[in-house]
Amino acid sequence: MYHALLTNRYLTTRVIPLIAVAAVALCVALVIIVVSVMTGFLDMVKDSGRTLMGDVVISYPINGIPHYERLIERLEKLPDVHAATPVIDSWGLVKMPYPDGPNKQTETVQIWGVDPESFNEVTGFADTLYWRPLTEDEQNKAHEDDFRRLVSNKVLQDGIALHDSRSDLPGIVLGMHVSEANVRQEDGSYQPMREGYWWMPNFQVTLTTLPIDTSGGFLEPESTILPVVNEFISGVYLIDDKRVMVPLQIAQRLLHLDEAELLDEEGEEVIGIDPARATMILIRGKGNMTPDELEPIIEQSYEQFYDELWKDTSAQILPPPRATEEQHGAIIQTWEKQQEPFIGPIEKERELMRTLFSLVYLVCAGLVLAIFWAIVYEKTRDIGILRSIGASRLGISWIFLRYGLVVGVLGSIVGLGLAYLVVHNINTIHTAMGHPPITLAIVFALSALVTLILTIMRSRSGRLLPLVLGLLITVTLILLAVLVYIAWKLGGVVIWDPKVYYFTTIPNTLDMASALLTMIGAVLFSLIGAFLPAAKAADTDPVKALRYE
Amino acid sequence: MSDQTTTQSGDSAASPILQARDVHKTYRLGRVDVPVLKGASLTVYRGEWIAILGASGSGKSTLLHLMGDLDQPDTAKGTIHFDGNDLTQLTQSRRNRYRNNSIGFVFQFYHLLPELNVTENTILPSLVGLSRFAYYRQRAELRGQAASLLQAFGLDHRLTHRPRELSGGERQRVAIARALINRPQVLLADEPTGNLDEQTGGEILDLLARQHQAGLTIVMVTHDPDIAKRADRIVRLHHGQVQEDINRI
Repeated sequence: MYHALLTNRYLTTRVIPLIAVAAVALCVALVIIVVSVMTGFLDMVKDSGRTLMGDVVISYPINGIPHYERLIERLEKLPDVHAATPVIDSWGLVKMPYPDGPNKQTETVQIWGVDPESFNEVTGFADTLYWRPLTEDEQNKAHEDDFRRLVSNKVLQDGIALHDSRSDLPGIVLGMHVSEANVRQEDGSYQPMREGYWWMPNFQVTLTTLPIDTSGGFLEPESTILPVVNEFISGVYLIDDKRVMVPLQIAQRLLHLDEAELLDEEGEEVIGIDPARATMILIRGKGNMTPDELEPIIEQSYEQFYDELWKDTSAQILPPPRATEEQHGAIIQTWEKQQEPFIGPIEKERELMRTLFSLVYLVCAGLVLAIFWAIVYEKTRDIGILRSIGASRLGISWIFLRYGLVVGVLGSIVGLGLAYLVVHNINTIHTAMGHPPITLAIVFALSALVTLILTIMRSRSGRLLPLVLGLLITVTLILLAVLVYIAWKLGGVVIWDPKVYYFTTIPNTLDMASALLTMIGAVLFSLIGAFLPAAKAADTDPVKALRYE
Repeated sequence: MSDQTTTQSGDSAASPILQARDVHKTYRLGRVDVPVLKGASLTVYRGEWIAILGASGSGKSTLLHLMGDLDQPDTAKGTIHFDGNDLTQLTQSRRNRYRNNSIGFVFQFYHLLPELNVTENTILPSLVGLSRFAYYRQRAELRGQAASLLQAFGLDHRLTHRPRELSGGERQRVAIARALINRPQVLLADEPTGNLDEQTGGEILDLLARQHQAGLTIVMVTHDPDIAKRADRIVRLHHGQVQEDINRI
């Protein structure tokens, strides 16, 4: 019982353990803030990736899946499927309208041929279109030169339909970063170069593909001119930098994946129809259906589709079987697995950051060890007294272990609170750093002056500690005032520059799972730090301890 | 070796409660072994007040620490018996209980815990001996017991004061209250008045005398023959051995 009383008193009547609590709290806050921002970043990337992928993807690149309409019809009948859409995924070249003159710039692009209506149903594509009229709220927040102020609703509708209403032709939607003419502004918005002249929806581009035949050989390149109807922004730079959207039929035609006559081996007689193909089917589940739950349902349905066509004697062209470890075929994956090559490195980066920052725990344990060592040294006589009244060695060590536990738990809780405050207000803090008010510098300077006056007054007592402490606080406040002034003079310090980083805001959600792990880690390391001093305390010779002065 | 087994005068029926037999204790100072006790023997009888007198370095505090199980004699060189049980043969937990229940220590420098108030310092041995649940069950009783003890020692106005707010005499009275809270059979006092002025020291000795009259066995270490005279019996330690045993009563 005495452990609780002594732990409580040692903690509340001294400054040293409060320093230990503060050290643990800072360590915990640091790790939680870093991991939360990284996790938030990863979640934003994942969410963005999911925006254009649906939940589950059936893919059979290059040759594509024939009879995909029947497959989609079957899938959409499933109670757990909300919608499914065919996609052609291939690579090609886009000749951009810039620069002026005859020699235009060419970009390598990932072509996605999509059926606009069902694609929008599955992926929410319409929400990613950038050029759209601003809402009233957005207009209030947007910069006065924001180009979107000039955009009509027709541009948005044309983008959704992948159709140019002016020329009544199929249109193309470019990823926001495909065109180098879109310049990202500090507030995260985009401005077409030359004061809006190079606004892509005013131009058309030439799309060129290199179709491949069934044996894998290259055919003659195919080209088509398409008016740009809008641009999209998914939030994933690699997608927005490379991907363009065209109507499915255009992509099928350019890649020779459209419906064609099936010729005999000599290539003379028409013996049937080679159906149109899609290289991917994107599927969106219903309600709370998770991709992992949906995946086996889709696998089963695909196998039934395959069996049905296998038995259908009228079907001259069969779809690929489902890929297994033994056989090549159509791959069925959740969007997360499909995006693994992209998301994987970011996840690894987060783990690396977590590991590196977890080294802070060692600092935490070291601090607790040093502080507790000093406390045990200071409490040597108390240990002797306790031993003289019957306290056991284990009991003595438990006082300090318990002390470490309390420091760890308190530090973790304070650290969590601190991290919450910082993470929750990270964008406000960042904005304040970006545009520091000069009044802040004045407040710091005045505080420094007041502290200095108080320090001079207190120094008359002849004590050195208040003098040193006062001067230290004064210097810190002066430094802060100078820093704020410099930042203000330079027009602010922007760490998370939206021009450079992809997201306009810093993720500000606390990752509670990581936070709990961090807190448990901090408590464990505080205990580890307290172990040695606790053992030292237990081993203290009571006779020597009682003689200790 | 001087074997001191003289019975306590005036009470021939008194039985030994604490016995040190041929105890040796050597401390190591750097590379040098310094023998402090060289075969000291002492029998303490139930209900007596015994004063161990000796010069500085004679080994009197060491003997007290050995009898209080704060230290152990050199291996296979002497035994300490309490109520017939050899302390060196007891398990660690029984020895802890012995220090907690059977004896009470009073030190020259009071040795109160500065973070605890007077009441908390007094009940500390009880807290050491009790589990959390047992403490909560007995809390009121325990605090009442401490309060009446402190009241008897004239400290009822100091219950919530910290040791730094007390005078030397008051601190020593708190230390005695702490030593008595678990109703020990023997009180081991190491120069209990060594840090006090004569008057205050006298008051402390009066307080000890009252406890002794109530039946408490006291072993007191002192270097002052005048203080030793308050005891029933005086033993002298010289060069690590008990040289002289004076029955005063």
